[in-house]
Amino acid sequence: MSNTSSDTTGDESLITTDVETGSTDRSTAVGETAVAARDLDVFYGDEQAIDDVSIEIPEKRVTALIGPSGCGKSTFLRCINRMNDMIDVCRVEGDVEFGGKNVYDDDVDPVALRRKIGMVFQKPNPFPKSIRDNVAYGLKIQGFDGDVDARVEESLKGAALWDEVKDQLDSSGLDLSGGQQQRLCIARAIAPDPEVILMDEPTSALDPVAASKIEDLIDGLAEEYTVIIVTHNMQQAARISDRTAVFLTGGRLVEYDDTAKIFEDPEEQRVEDYITGKFG
Amino acid sequence: MATDNQNATGFGEVSRVRGIVFEYLSLGASVAGLVALGVLLVYVAIDAFDLANASPEWLLTYFLTLVVPFLAFCLYSADDAAVTRRVVGVLAGGLVAVAGVFTAIETFVVTIPRLSWQLAYLFVVAAPVTAYLAYVGSHGRVGAVGFGLLGRLVGGIAVGLAVGTLFLVFDELVWFLAYTLGVLPAAALYAYGRWRAAARAVTAAAPIGLLGLVAAAVLRGVVRTYPSDLVIYLWTLAIPVAAVGALVVAARGSRTAAVAAGGGPLALATAGGFLAGSVGLPGPTTLIVLAVTGVPTAVYVHRVVDVGEGTVGLGLPLLLAAGVIVGALVVEAWGVPAPDPWLDASYVTEAPSRNAAEAGLYPAIVGSVIIIALVAVLSFVLGVGTSVFLEEYTAGSGLVGSLTRLLQINIANLAAIPSVVYGLLGLGLFANLLGLGYGTAVTAALTLSLLILPITIISAQEAIRSVPDDLRRGSDAMGATRWQTTKNVVLPEALPGILTGTILALGRAIGETAPLIMIGAATTVFSAPGSLFSRFSAMPMQIYAWAGFPQAEFRYGVVAAGVITLLIILIGMNGTAILLRNRAERGS
Ligand SMILES: Nc1ncnc2c1ncn2[C@@H]1O[C@H](COP(=O)(O)OP(=O)(O)O)[C@@H](O)[C@H]1O
Ligand SMILES: [Mg+2]
Repeated sequence: MSNTSSDTTGDESLITTDVETGSTDRSTAVGETAVAARDLDVFYGDEQAIDDVSIEIPEKRVTALIGPSGCGKSTFLRCINRMNDMIDVCRVEGDVEFGGKNVYDDDVDPVALRRKIGMVFQKPNPFPKSIRDNVAYGLKIQGFDGDVDARVEESLKGAALWDEVKDQLDSSGLDLSGGQQQRLCIARAIAPDPEVILMDEPTSALDPVAASKIEDLIDGLAEEYTVIIVTHNMQQAARISDRTAVFLTGGRLVEYDDTAKIFEDPEEQRVEDYITGKFG
Repeated sequence: MATDNQNATGFGEVSRVRGIVFEYLSLGASVAGLVALGVLLVYVAIDAFDLANASPEWLLTYFLTLVVPFLAFCLYSADDAAVTRRVVGVLAGGLVAVAGVFTAIETFVVTIPRLSWQLAYLFVVAAPVTAYLAYVGSHGRVGAVGFGLLGRLVGGIAVGLAVGTLFLVFDELVWFLAYTLGVLPAAALYAYGRWRAAARAVTAAAPIGLLGLVAAAVLRGVVRTYPSDLVIYLWTLAIPVAAVGALVVAARGSRTAAVAAGGGPLALATAGGFLAGSVGLPGPTTLIVLAVTGVPTAVYVHRVVDVGEGTVGLGLPLLLAAGVIVGALVVEAWGVPAPDPWLDASYVTEAPSRNAAEAGLYPAIVGSVIIIALVAVLSFVLGVGTSVFLEEYTAGSGLVGSLTRLLQINIANLAAIPSVVYGLLGLGLFANLLGLGYGTAVTAALTLSLLILPITIISAQEAIRSVPDDLRRGSDAMGATRWQTTKNVVLPEALPGILTGTILALGRAIGETAPLIMIGAATTVFSAPGSLFSRFSAMPMQIYAWAGFPQAEFRYGVVAAGVITLLIILIGMNGTAILLRNRAERGS
């Protein structure tokens, strides 16, 4: 963690730990929009999971999505890389823009889209292949022509895993510990050099030490990538994100602002209640 | 039951009577089944090898020269004093017990036919102890090395013989053209692409290979002159096998060793192939067997020596061979009566005969091997294809979804249809409608493939379904197409399970007779099939025919030898498949 400035902390912080909010190495001024949703509704059959969400997510920042279970955070994340297409009953209305284009347009190939957007899941899911093959997977399926080994090394370094595995690149990815596996999945996601990385509760299956390693890592990732992370853990959102979106039950986006603002002085009473643990 | 009768302990007692009764009943049932099967197999083995006529001296000789050294080897490998003590105890105690019980039964109850107490000891005590020790010993370094080497020798011979057999019906000239024009260029291109990391060369390999295969099929009708069979096998089989072996060794280091591991066996195989004719062996088969046995053996020996652990184990094949030779010499010198087994070299290399002593199973073995090879390929390809389609490609809802479900139910029903009905289908569809001929190898192979296809599909589906969805989602999210996910993630993970299902299904196919009778397969043929369209017989058919002969020699000796041969081939086949599967499991 590199929270060098402490000007955003204050006694008025709503969460009970004394963590500093926002990794404010990066300027808080919001840059270009990487991903945007406009009037997004998502239904599973008749049940509505996302209700009229509009949001603009800045590039090269960490944006956290928080909210109680079942409020549609994962659903929203899956709309961005169209992983919802795999769910038969799922129906999406409205626009999700990435790179200035609506990803739900007819001429968008979801497979090609996903090659520009990496994803890391809640449960580490390395392939039952060697560490090298895991990281090189995206390169392989995209027919990468360059130096694969160099890319593998670079990605593993980017995921802060290189030093731990550089002598065992040919052993199975499943032999690693849970935290290492998750970092391997991060290396796998960044190897093809995507623009956005989606993370769905990447640390909730890990012990605190492994989780904090991943938090440190996310901070660095935002130098190159747009990171959108779903988390259950309020302290985590406060520590690592620049922007925070609060979803509440019914799939509504209730408040979306700089992380410091959300955690210190939210506009909405419901958000304050949620953050201080009155419900959720 | 008395679930609430209080007693002094204060908590009461919960009755477990039903569970215990159930446990022992099921245990008893399975033990009874296994024992019955075991007794049957013992008698079959006694008949096949004529052990009833083996004198105790003969048994003792081989026990001392073959079994005891093998046990000693395993004990040495296990290197565990407790095991040694236990084994010696069981062997000695078993001797007394079996002899005592056997004599008691013989004197007081009934005489046990065709069995002496020595034979009973062999089957009841020595065989299980040997199996147990082989298992224990194989976990030690020395034992692992010994069994590894033995496995490569036996496996190489089996694979070589199977390949040689297949070329009885497949046109080696087509294979020569296909290899030279298709397989070789494609493999070379692929290897070059991997080596230079040139993706284009890798992708071009498959089309080039296909083009070569088509060219081969066309040119076969045009080209008139070919090299001799021996040269073809040398060029298309022995040299590539040796090259792969050399590459494997080279990857571990030494260049000289690589040349030796590839070149040595190759030279030996070539010499063997050219000289085989003079001792009455078929040259090409000798060449193939020597090559596919020699190269893996050399590669393995190099690795063991390289690692330097358990090198002593390499002596196991020598130990066994010496045991056989010494045993034979002793028996010869001693002049004790030896059994005259029905199952001997001539039995597996000669044609059936009216005379029991000359009867052989060769044509039926060849027929079975060819059919099984075809069935394995057909059912694997069709089964995997269908199950991948059903599991990975069809939607769960809508019209396609309903159709899939209908298909699914039908496949499950097909698995329950009696095999005779499949025979009828094969007769109508393949023999009559498609004109593939009555009782030909293709008709049989297609019919049997159809018969086991539902089982293969269902087990492959099961295996594919058990691949965690996490992995699919992970691959999809990387931007893999459905096919890339299936090929790179799902199939490698499901392969062990798919292979298990296929192995079980093939076991059923190899023993089937009813569908073969329906499609008009002969019970007895006197020469091995020369093409896929010649008439053939299969082992179970021939065994069934012999069982109906009036002479007792047929009904006992010849049939027993056939059953043992069938079992050995089945076990060999399954063993190979299981090894492949374990390798796939470890590889992933
Ligand atoms: N595959 C699915 N099929 C049907 N309903 C789903 C599916 N996934 C999620 N839902 C529903 O959508 C709502 C939002 O779920 P989700 O996005 O997983 O919430 P979160 O990630 O915030 O916990 C929940 O009510 C859940 O039951
Ligand atoms: Mg979720």
